[in-house]
Amino acid sequence: MAVAASHAGHLEQHDHIHPEPTTFIGKYIFSLDAKVIGIQYMITGLLFFIISGLLAEVVRIQLLRPEGGFVSNDTYNGVYSLHASGMIWMTIIPLMTGGFGNFVMPLMIGARDVAFPWLNLASFWIFPPAGVILFSSFLVGAPDAGWTEYPPVSVQGPPGTSLWCVAIFLIGISSTMTGLNFMVTIIKMRAPGMTFTRMPLFVWAQLATAMLNMVATVALSAALAALFIERTFGVPFYDPGRGGSPVLWQHMFWFYSHPAVYIMILPAFGFISEIFPTFARKPIFGYKMIAFSSIAIALLGFMVWAHHMFTSGMAPWLQLPFMILTMVISVPTGIKIFSWLATLWGGKIEFHAAMLFALGFIVVFTFGGITGIFLSAVPVDLHLHGTYFIPAHIHYVLFGGSIFGLFAAVYYWWPKITGRMMNDTLGAWHFWLTFVSFNATFLPMHWLGIMGMPRRVAQYRPEFQFWNDVCSIASFVLAASTLIFLYNMFTSLTRGKKAPPNPWNARTLEWQISSPPPYYNFKTIPAVLKNPYDFGEPLPYLGLGPSDKEDPHPTKPGGTPPEPAHA
Amino acid sequence: MAVSAINASHEAVHARYEAVDPLYREVRDIRLLGFVLFLVSDVVLFSMFIFAYLYLRNSVPNWPPITKDGMQLPRFDVAFACINSCVLFGSGATMHFAMESWKHLNKAAFNLWMIATIVLGIGFLSGQAYEYQHVPVTWTGSTMGASFFTLTGMHGFHVFVGVIYLITLYVQANRGVYTGSKYFGLTAGTLYWHFVDVIWVALFYLFYLM
Amino acid sequence: MAQVSAPRKLGLGPGFWPVTIAMTVLNLIVTYGIIVFPIDSVLPEAAAPAGDIDALFKFMSVFGNAIFVYVTGYLVYFSIVWRRRSTDPPEAIGIQIHDNNKLEFWWTVVPCILVLMIAIFSVRIWWSLQNQIGDVLTMEAVGHQFKFEFRYPRLKASVYDDMHVPVDTPVTLQVTSSDVIHSFWVPEVRIKADMVPGLVQTLRFTPSKVGTYRIICTEFCGVNHGNMFATLHIDSQQDFGRWLAATSKSQGQSAGAVQLASGQAAAGQQLFGQKCSSCHSIGPFEQKIVGPGLGKLLSDPNHPNLVTGEKPNPVDISHILINGYQGPDNSAGKNAPAIGVMPNRQANALSNQDIANLVAYLTSLSQSK
Repeated sequence: MAVAASHAGHLEQHDHIHPEPTTFIGKYIFSLDAKVIGIQYMITGLLFFIISGLLAEVVRIQLLRPEGGFVSNDTYNGVYSLHASGMIWMTIIPLMTGGFGNFVMPLMIGARDVAFPWLNLASFWIFPPAGVILFSSFLVGAPDAGWTEYPPVSVQGPPGTSLWCVAIFLIGISSTMTGLNFMVTIIKMRAPGMTFTRMPLFVWAQLATAMLNMVATVALSAALAALFIERTFGVPFYDPGRGGSPVLWQHMFWFYSHPAVYIMILPAFGFISEIFPTFARKPIFGYKMIAFSSIAIALLGFMVWAHHMFTSGMAPWLQLPFMILTMVISVPTGIKIFSWLATLWGGKIEFHAAMLFALGFIVVFTFGGITGIFLSAVPVDLHLHGTYFIPAHIHYVLFGGSIFGLFAAVYYWWPKITGRMMNDTLGAWHFWLTFVSFNATFLPMHWLGIMGMPRRVAQYRPEFQFWNDVCSIASFVLAASTLIFLYNMFTSLTRGKKAPPNPWNARTLEWQISSPPPYYNFKTIPAVLKNPYDFGEPLPYLGLGPSDKEDPHPTKPGGTPPEPAHA
Repeated sequence: MAVSAINASHEAVHARYEAVDPLYREVRDIRLLGFVLFLVSDVVLFSMFIFAYLYLRNSVPNWPPITKDGMQLPRFDVAFACINSCVLFGSGATMHFAMESWKHLNKAAFNLWMIATIVLGIGFLSGQAYEYQHVPVTWTGSTMGASFFTLTGMHGFHVFVGVIYLITLYVQANRGVYTGSKYFGLTAGTLYWHFVDVIWVALFYLFYLM
Repeated sequence: MAQVSAPRKLGLGPGFWPVTIAMTVLNLIVTYGIIVFPIDSVLPEAAAPAGDIDALFKFMSVFGNAIFVYVTGYLVYFSIVWRRRSTDPPEAIGIQIHDNNKLEFWWTVVPCILVLMIAIFSVRIWWSLQNQIGDVLTMEAVGHQFKFEFRYPRLKASVYDDMHVPVDTPVTLQVTSSDVIHSFWVPEVRIKADMVPGLVQTLRFTPSKVGTYRIICTEFCGVNHGNMFATLHIDSQQDFGRWLAATSKSQGQSAGAVQLASGQAAAGQQLFGQKCSSCHSIGPFEQKIVGPGLGKLLSDPNHPNLVTGEKPNPVDISHILINGYQGPDNSAGKNAPAIGVMPNRQANALSNQDIANLVAYLTSLSQSK
């Protein structure tokens, strides 16, 4: 017990519990609790996911026929631009960081909340208005130049482009604040004994993501502000007629947007690193390499942005370093994939829905990563850039990567968040339907691009109709399969089995308390002795007991907070 | 003061800083890291616009650029901006002395130096307003004007917010919110004010000297 | 507590080597297929450097396929072999290994070597692209919303929609734009360059196969981006010479005056379908595609003038067809923002007779209501 004694003095320092709110508004609307804020992010993100997904279906209906005609070209251009913008900024990034980061990360490090709860509250409440502003741009003429909005076309674009600038600027502020909050939380508020090398890999992933979020998003804000004032006041940054440069926008935009794709995938890597050990019943293989590769990917992610600009007119010699660095990034990514495979080897694998999506992720994301390597080679990119090969690559890594990861995370942590179990059979149906229809939707797009179909087009040449129709019909099946997921989620809330504290027999801290956790998370902050992945050994935590697993509020939420420890 | 006396008072300052209860120490550490990270993100913001300025400057053969009517814009006049810069850097020095006074428990000196800082800050903003009337460029007329007004405007906005912040700190300090050992708000204010100075060093160089 | 003690010598699992060998054999077969696959017969390689780029694409396909097969294969194989059986006790766990330095060393080093190989090959092809010759014919392409304009040194005026180059002749193509960013791409040549206003980019290639190919805009440029195409004609050297001479001659002829009286509405209707209908409907003004509907040009009480502010009569209509238009919309007698770009007669390749026919057709539309 010397360990416990030496930690006793340290324990109390983490015990700043803000008093429990008593009003409905305080508990559920303007809550300071990271768990509630996390749920708010998840609900809002789900809503924007559905809206953005429906927009994608409009795209696929239009592309059933070469001459289009389902909607006008202007509408179509707005539809795909908001589909992408909504998915990236109003769905994936908020769900990955604000959603799962807020709910799971503090629990995993043995903290009661994040470092700055008021900042967290502010971060969330920027999010719904930003989304409303974004989608309301349809009312005044939606932004039409994609989620990348290159000038001069975007400077001349419809009024909705200015709303787009405002919406993304706002969500950028939210992201930056969240990134800062998470960085300080992970660096300063880990439970005693949880050194960096005893941290779960999901926390490593959130740390790397927070670094990117905090530094890169500001770059986008600068680009958006410049575009906005050029559109509104005529300030010449991008107008070549007055000495400006359209390529400047591309540098500023991609300096953020490449790290942004790592913001969207690193948390998913974190999900896999937690789900695989739990369902293979063995430690994650190569913990240190996975942890450090997350940081390496984050750092390298800042150095490759101009691989989106190989055809842009920038100085040709610049193509070389960006090509090489982009190829280099595949190495830490590959190491992770091999480590995950080695985690499967020798395991006792259980195929719950979360595990199915995690396995599917590996297959599909590897494919997307490989097409990324193709694109990193300048001579090949010169053929493929701006064609349908690009959306093909994008969706393999963002849908097959991020969205599959998010599905896995929902299935995995749903019992912890809601106290209910989702139906595993429905989950399996959801997975297989999704996996097959996803590949049927996006695989042919590679071929379309290679053979000459450009992207962002409302009409296309007739020879491309057959494969477009395959993609469209498969996408309808994909959309339908999501209904299974939604049904599963909503019915489980009322009819799902009540979830035990640790339905998956996992070892990270969030599973050692009740499902859902009390608002104060832990009765006493535990001390951590080892990393959590050694199945078959006792849990390496001191200070947790059976009372932590009790339902703290069998009749009402909140429960009785513990007495703060005294000196 | 004799050296030994100075050292003793520095030791006293340090001792007061360390003697806080562990709970406050942790809170202070967390806030300090958070504030420093905030300043890092603010540096990135300015860096992006500085990058844009350097890129635009580099993409034309002449700088100052030649406008549509064929005339080359003149360079900015350095003299006034030099004086105004000294005003701002001076306010950085006075802020430093204010902070030191507080740490040495000299409230009267703190008040004087804070007021000096605030006055100099307002002076700098007035100087910028004057400069805005007299520079030979407009915001929308050229990339030179676009970069100049956007960057110095952002900086001026940061100074303005800083002045408000300093006034708030002055009032709070005089209402007893801060003590000789617990004064994180003042630390943050000092860091912010020095940050604003450092950014101005870069902007002054980029627009007036380079 | 159940323990799974790792056996002294860790076997890799039942069937590990057969599965690995099977995957390797599959990879070798696919590699062979990739190497012999005739890309040229699926997507012609119509110019150097298409062949080089295809070779790099094949090289990367070999590696990409191998990685994908091994990853997916091992994933499926491990999932089957190491799955929990229904006979396993509930507390059964997997083999508790954390890492293996030797394995991790090799799976770091081998990918590094593979990346190095891909990088070296890519850099070589990249270098050869930088050193492509183009020293015989230099020409320009300018992007507009939504047409490609081509300028030749020996032609007085530009040519639209059809780009001709002679086979086996190194070509330097300088591209730029007059308005927004476009992109010049010929899939059969493989290379592309963005057409950026204020910037000139250079493409160099040597056509090697006579034929007709597609020029495609691959950067979103506005409402009609999906319809922005041109045609690349790789001609024999004699055919190119003949085309150049004929074009030069017809450009030298003075246009003369348009004879409106000779206009045929039926011919005009056919021409409208070919050249105008992608941007204009024959409905009322408000039925816009890109430009306003032209069905009531001479008889719309809400728009008593043409967009130029002139009264709608055949002569002023013909002026718009001749000069194009990109000013404000003065059709209702007020000064509004510019309504977009209507190409001029040259861009639309309209002869005098074409113009007369179109005017006749538009007039007949207004009268038939």
